[in-house]
Amino acid sequence: MNVEAPDQRLSEKPGVERPAGAPKTEGTRRKGKREGAAWVFLSPWLLGAAVLTLTPMLASLYLSFTEYDLFTAPKWVGLDNYVHMFTQDPRYWRSAVNTLVYVLVAVPLQLAFALAAALALNSIGRGKGFYRSAFYAPSLLGASMSIALVWRALFNDGGTVDDLLSSIGVNMGGWVNQPGWALLVVALLTIWQFGAPMVIFLAGLQQVPGELYEAAEVDGAGRLRRFRSVTLPMLSPVLFFNLVLQTIQAFQVFTPAFTVSGGRGGPADSTLFYTLYLYDRGFTASHMGYAAAMAWVLLVVIGIVTALLFRSSRSWVFYNDKG
Amino acid sequence: MPDTSPKSRTLPRTGIKASALTFAVLTLCGLLAGCGAGTSGSAGDKVELQFSWWGNADRAAATNEAVDLFERRHPNIEVQTSFSSYNSYIQKLATQAAGGNAPDVMQLDYRQISQYASSGLLLPLGDRPEVSTEKVGSGMLRTGQVRGTQYAIPMGRTSQVLVYDSAEWQRAGVSEPRLDWTWQDWSAAMRELNENTDQAGSTDPGWSEDWFEVWLRGRGKSLYTDSGELGFDKSDLAKFWSFTNELSQRGAVSPARQTTQIDGSAANMPFGRGNAASGITWDSAVGGFQALIGDSLRLAPLPSGPDGTPGQYFKPSMLVGVSANSPHPEEAAQLVDFLINDPKAGDVLGVSRGMPVNQDIRENITPSLSGLDERIADFQQRLEGKLLDPPSAPPAGDLALQTTFQRDYDHVGFELRSPRRMAEQFLTSVRSELQP
Repeated sequence: MNVEAPDQRLSEKPGVERPAGAPKTEGTRRKGKREGAAWVFLSPWLLGAAVLTLTPMLASLYLSFTEYDLFTAPKWVGLDNYVHMFTQDPRYWRSAVNTLVYVLVAVPLQLAFALAAALALNSIGRGKGFYRSAFYAPSLLGASMSIALVWRALFNDGGTVDDLLSSIGVNMGGWVNQPGWALLVVALLTIWQFGAPMVIFLAGLQQVPGELYEAAEVDGAGRLRRFRSVTLPMLSPVLFFNLVLQTIQAFQVFTPAFTVSGGRGGPADSTLFYTLYLYDRGFTASHMGYAAAMAWVLLVVIGIVTALLFRSSRSWVFYNDKG
Repeated sequence: MPDTSPKSRTLPRTGIKASALTFAVLTLCGLLAGCGAGTSGSAGDKVELQFSWWGNADRAAATNEAVDLFERRHPNIEVQTSFSSYNSYIQKLATQAAGGNAPDVMQLDYRQISQYASSGLLLPLGDRPEVSTEKVGSGMLRTGQVRGTQYAIPMGRTSQVLVYDSAEWQRAGVSEPRLDWTWQDWSAAMRELNENTDQAGSTDPGWSEDWFEVWLRGRGKSLYTDSGELGFDKSDLAKFWSFTNELSQRGAVSPARQTTQIDGSAANMPFGRGNAASGITWDSAVGGFQALIGDSLRLAPLPSGPDGTPGQYFKPSMLVGVSANSPHPEEAAQLVDFLINDPKAGDVLGVSRGMPVNQDIRENITPSLSGLDERIADFQQRLEGKLLDPPSAPPAGDLALQTTFQRDYDHVGFELRSPRRMAEQFLTSVRSELQP
């Protein structure tokens, strides 16, 4: 992520134009030539960043101050979209609360599962490869529409899960079609995809020096104590990394809710997540300006939450090199 | 980074430049998507038209055959066709139109045309000599008008329908629906079905603005007035929702947890899933139920108002319009005329877009229909002359209100809010959506 500017000196020589056929031996010219090549190879990325990321972002910032229905020219309305969002749109708040609940449920559970699986896999001897890929597979599949559809079918009225529960006497009549349970089903789908953080945890676990465990054992620490006093602190940077990443992702959850609820965020708005409502405003109701404003608020909120996480990390993340 | 590769040093700089240039051009091309594809210009001497629609494979086969006929008739015109499912089509078309790249000829939904027409995206077709509308009934034709101007021509017609399993109804000892039954008769039948069959009598109609509209029209009101304002008030909606919700609570129509899953497809309707003895839908969508229910599937009109006023109407199943930006308006209009009026095209297209609106073509193809198509034709025949004129095209924000309606009714069904309270909330949404 941390892309540094290729070279300070480049900015002093705009245009990167140099005479052709520069002799190889001449130092500055050769450097210039290499810089030129660097620019050439960077250009697709730079172009992409400028045209595909920066421009749309600026455009969306502008649109967030307009009423824009895609067909007629955007009409400047100042802060109206933001004001309406915060003061007159109960569904907006509903979507914000849903998303927050989802983040608070799904992220800790997903990380807990990932860590538990990583710990188990770390101590396994035979069949390591198999189990690792088996646990990782859901992460590869899970983001897809088709798995979300399968999920919906499983938890639907008369679906497999429903039938199984009925056979032991728990008659639910479906999970995804009841306001109290649908959110949980969507969260379960996310938790089930714990593979990516698990792999990172595994890598982290293998970095923990064996001597520490040996020393702890010599001091008479039991398994739980070793986990609490050695594994967790040593793993805290990795835990932090996963936490930040998964939180940011969870705020933007879309596909599972969209698919499980048939695109509406139902039943009774119980899975109306922020991005789902944003999509609805933009593409169903043609209020692109309002949707853009929602996107910017989301960006700011994610920024704040991430900053808070970083600040809190000072008190619980332990970096080995700090001594 | 040190330059360790000896090859890179000897690579001629013109090579680098050339490949960089190629790369840049390719990237730009990709970004602007303007190279090669997407331009509806002329290929050689031929005029090239884009024609896009939504639908399934059956409709695609029929449409392509008709387009082939058209191309044979007009050797100077080449028609590029494309289609997708309804939802992605609507979004794709909106994006294309916003970018000024709408196809020359496009299939449109009743709920789209106001927005498209008032944004100046559609070519007025009324004064185009290429398009003849003589054989399209005037009531039907009016559905393609926005503020008195003909912007689109209906392609097929459909009507609201109650689909039911006659075997089931007979077993339950409930007499089959008559042509002039009222909502009161209907609710009595629903209760009777529920008592005698142990399942819901029907899909709860409270979820959809479409069925509310039928109920409203039966009481002499409408969703929208001709000038695009609201034609009902809070108490109408509250009354409708109380009526349907009460039936739902006592089991006469489907419970909320089934109603919430309705998405228009037959497979997700309580009737289609085997949880109800009947369902309410459009006659153009009956095919999906035929596959699930079988031969005992029957069609009946929706109930009328207390004094017998029919609420249902013939609606254009879809319309066709020409882009205002089309470089070939004349040829595009010819294609529209061909699709609507040509007898051969009528034979080929059949009922793939609902019953044809052209009276002659409708009469032409009716004898050759069989099975379900025949029953739908019969159904429409029985309604002919008994229905009131269709409302004019709904105003632009209505597309969003359709989904809002279903969401709001969810809250009623799950007993989270009272019908009155949700009716109030729905009207708040209406006011903010319909604001210019």
